[in-house]
Amino acid sequence: MKTSAKIYTALIMLFLFAPIAILLIFSFNAAKSLSVFSGFSLYWYRELFRDAETLGAVRNTLVLALSAAVLSTAMGTAAAVGIFRLRSKVLRAAYDTVTNIPMINPDIITGISLMLMFVFVGRLFGAATSLNFWTMLIAHITFCLPYVILQVLPKLQQMDASLPEAAMDLGCTPFRAFLKVEIPEIMPGIVTGLIMAFTLSLDDFVISYFTAGNGFQTLPIRIYNMTKKTVTPKMYALSTIIFFTILALLIMTNLIDTGPGVEKQEKKERSAASKRRTKLAFGIGAVLAVGMAAVLFLGAPKKPVLNVYNWGEYISDGSEDSFDVLQGFEDWYLANYGHEVEVNYTTFASNEDMYAKLSSGAVSYDVIVPSDYMIARMREEGMLLPLDFDNIPNYQYIGESFKNLYYDPDNLYSVPYTYNFTGIIYDANRVDEADTGDWDLLWNPKYAGQILQFNNSRDAFGTAQYKLGLDVNSDDPADWQAALAALKEQQPLVKSYVMDEVYNMMESGEAAVCTYYAGDYFIMADAQAPGVELSFYAPERTNYFVDAFCIPTCCQNKELAEAFINYMLEYEPAVANAEYICYGCPNRLVYEDGAYAEDMGEEAMEILYPNLDDFGEKYEQFAFRNLSPAMLGTINTLWEELKIN
Amino acid sequence: MRKIIELKNVSKAFDGQTVLDNVSLDIYDNEFLTLLGPSGCGKTTTLRIIAGFESPDSGSLSFLGEDILSLPPHRRNVNTVFQRYALFPHLNVFENIAFPLREKKVPQDEIRGKVDEMLRLVALTGFEKRSVTSLSGGQQQRVAIARALISRPKVLLLDEPLAALDLKLRKDMQQELKNIQKATGITFVFVTHDQEEALSMSDTVVVMSEGRIQQIGTPIDIYNEPRNAFVADFIGESNILSGIMLQDRLVRFSGRDFPCVDEGFARNEPVDVVIRPEDVVIVPKGQLRGTVTSVTFLGVHYEIIVDIGGFKWMIQTTGFADVGDEIGIYVDPENIHIMKKSEYSGLFGDYSSFSNEFDELSDAESEAEP
Ligand SMILES: Nc1ncnc2c1ncn2[C@@H]1O[C@H](COP(=O)(O)OP(=O)(O)O)[C@@H](O)[C@H]1O
Ligand SMILES: [Mg+2]
Repeated sequence: MKTSAKIYTALIMLFLFAPIAILLIFSFNAAKSLSVFSGFSLYWYRELFRDAETLGAVRNTLVLALSAAVLSTAMGTAAAVGIFRLRSKVLRAAYDTVTNIPMINPDIITGISLMLMFVFVGRLFGAATSLNFWTMLIAHITFCLPYVILQVLPKLQQMDASLPEAAMDLGCTPFRAFLKVEIPEIMPGIVTGLIMAFTLSLDDFVISYFTAGNGFQTLPIRIYNMTKKTVTPKMYALSTIIFFTILALLIMTNLIDTGPGVEKQEKKERSAASKRRTKLAFGIGAVLAVGMAAVLFLGAPKKPVLNVYNWGEYISDGSEDSFDVLQGFEDWYLANYGHEVEVNYTTFASNEDMYAKLSSGAVSYDVIVPSDYMIARMREEGMLLPLDFDNIPNYQYIGESFKNLYYDPDNLYSVPYTYNFTGIIYDANRVDEADTGDWDLLWNPKYAGQILQFNNSRDAFGTAQYKLGLDVNSDDPADWQAALAALKEQQPLVKSYVMDEVYNMMESGEAAVCTYYAGDYFIMADAQAPGVELSFYAPERTNYFVDAFCIPTCCQNKELAEAFINYMLEYEPAVANAEYICYGCPNRLVYEDGAYAEDMGEEAMEILYPNLDDFGEKYEQFAFRNLSPAMLGTINTLWEELKIN
Repeated sequence: MRKIIELKNVSKAFDGQTVLDNVSLDIYDNEFLTLLGPSGCGKTTTLRIIAGFESPDSGSLSFLGEDILSLPPHRRNVNTVFQRYALFPHLNVFENIAFPLREKKVPQDEIRGKVDEMLRLVALTGFEKRSVTSLSGGQQQRVAIARALISRPKVLLLDEPLAALDLKLRKDMQQELKNIQKATGITFVFVTHDQEEALSMSDTVVVMSEGRIQQIGTPIDIYNEPRNAFVADFIGESNILSGIMLQDRLVRFSGRDFPCVDEGFARNEPVDVVIRPEDVVIVPKGQLRGTVTSVTFLGVHYEIIVDIGGFKWMIQTTGFADVGDEIGIYVDPENIHIMKKSEYSGLFGDYSSFSNEFDELSDAESEAEP
């Protein structure tokens, strides 16, 4: 019994802490891979401290968490005292319940309702952007408050009710009695509430996501937005640091809260503990106060601000010895226009997220980077401004193949930033060279159980349609039925349907064949385990996509936005971005550059720039376009049918 | 003697339930006054009205002739020793006692001197640095008294301060409180439900029941001349019989006429007759005769229950009688006390259901209830 209990406890511990242990270990990995530990290194920690964007997000998160913690603690304590003082029992119970609602309310509902309220109030006062630091702060205070009340109220209830009366009896006004007697008595609750509020605010994602405004991005949002590419190991390093910080706070909380109902024998120790916790409380208070002061001093200076909204990990940001493009733009602007600007850089995780944020009307961005089909949609819905190409002379460097594409046929609204396409990645050590070259590899029974397929309908159907020579944008249901048949035929061979998991499964050799984007192949090849030899090819017919700079109608400073787009086409930033992102670059200054070709290597150049002359043709013929909602519904039904089998 | 506090026709109800009913009470300088009554009779409420934590629904409260009902607690020259002491756990002994002076911004030197003096008064010298939570009940009690006395209030209110102490300590503290009161000359308003404590400590006893004052008087008055059956029963043991005052100095009860010393009642007025158990003498023949139904040995004396014509008397005597014996009793006219009939008549003073064991049982039960 005893040993089995021990084993059980050990298993639970393992279950709870294994993920964190793995995170911790891999934060010290010398390589990028999650499957192979190739030696101890502080590389990712160094990288982390060079990443200005992430550090900015950390700073934002801390500012927000500190302010939210301090304010919600003050307000929550006052509220708890108010509820406690209520004479009517019914009213007291009612308040108690009402304050608990935000706690049991799903975050997503709190988030959406707060966003709606801010937008509504913002509109009322005619503000261009209604979401900003302050709205986020209000949101965080809102969800922290009940927790503070929940900590403080029981302390008030446990307190001997005659203590404040004794104080008044001895000459204190009611307020002095509160300060001198009640506050010290409920201090453990206040401190616990403060720490809880701080940690809650620190790791909130859902509510922050809905109430985040221009440029003010917290860490959880930034990490989420990295998922277009892969979460870099420096995030493991950051997570490790955060884990230990929170652990330390938790231990402190437990030291402070010795709990109610202390027995007589323990009274002596309790008084010592009470002194200790008073000191601790003051210590924490002082640290918070200094933090707040520091943060206020670091407050943003007043310069023109350019709000850029881009994919996560989609710009050269100075990490891993790269060129810091945003800093570069600020310097370049000062040099060319004679005054300072500040770039407020925010990231998103999908076109749909970006679209939702913009159409909420709660934010305003000056430059956005949607994908092609989303540009077509936004253009049709009048959400984009035509560009003034006099302000973007560098547009001349865009390759002719990348102009007049369907989403912007007259080249009015967009300047292409990157392009990418789907291909097949395989382990050359296991896959016969003769079997490669087209989509059939994904249907080859020789590799049964080693094949990975996309876990999203559009991409998965695409592979079958390309294989069968069908139009991927067809509105004939028969075409889709045919593709479905092919996918069903493929199903027994498929190891699993994957999205982000594809990296680890390919790097570790768990699977031998997959289909994914060319740019991502380089990431996998970089991190492949010993004995794995990843290789890539793009079949003749495949999906191409272009991401391009646009200016949305909510833009506040169009000339500055155009200057920014123009700068992004300059040689140095363009090369830096292309090398950082590893996608294809439509800029001649880049793809015709010798130094760039050398940096990327022969293989990468061959893959990314096969023959650009017919890019436009292939793109128009094979790229995914926006499908009608009805068509999307049909596809989804078919996809469900496949997945249910 | 100077009148310090005067309550006039004070009434108070909580949630429609009358807790104080037309209470009028004068409190004089330098006196030790005790509010005595069973739990729930409104003693604490009376103290809280004086201290300023509750305000009466009607009536007036004056302090040295001035109406103080509108003054908040911190402006009243009255201090309280709370039932559970209400010491401040985050302050040590010294700081607890110094608390009122610190509020008044008294200079440190002066504070030190006064706190030392108080510590001497309550015999806690050397405990300054101790945490109050590490003290015994009796020591906490003394700190609470010192803290309440340090700013020399005119009146000190003490709400059952000894209830939480064990018997031995309680006796010591009773003496000590009395001494402190004498030494300081401060008026004490003391609350207790323990009649012995009230009799032994007080200059004046105020007996309360159900929110009304039943009797105010010196301990001896209250004991010897209880005004009604409630007081007679609550203060000590009493045999209370229903009788008829035939004429001055002659009362009839238990089917016999008894000479007594009371006068001033109407002829043939129905009255209550109180006879203390220790005043009943066992004699061979006697005025009344009955059968012994129970005998309990209590050390100093026996407690004997005698059935006389269906009414059970309690007798305290040093002589012995056995259960079943037939005995005669005699009561001296001096010891027969006549009271007017009241709402309490017939409720108390018959020992029919009396049994020591039963008493203890029911005590234990009522203690077990929260
Ligand atoms: N704040 C209050 N609210 C409601 N009822 C109360 C309150 N304080 C006292 N009472 C009631 O008033 C009555 C008298 O109480 P109290 O003065 O404390 O009696 P005592 O001190 O003589 O035991 C009791 O029945 C008690 O329940
Ligand atoms: Mg009481």
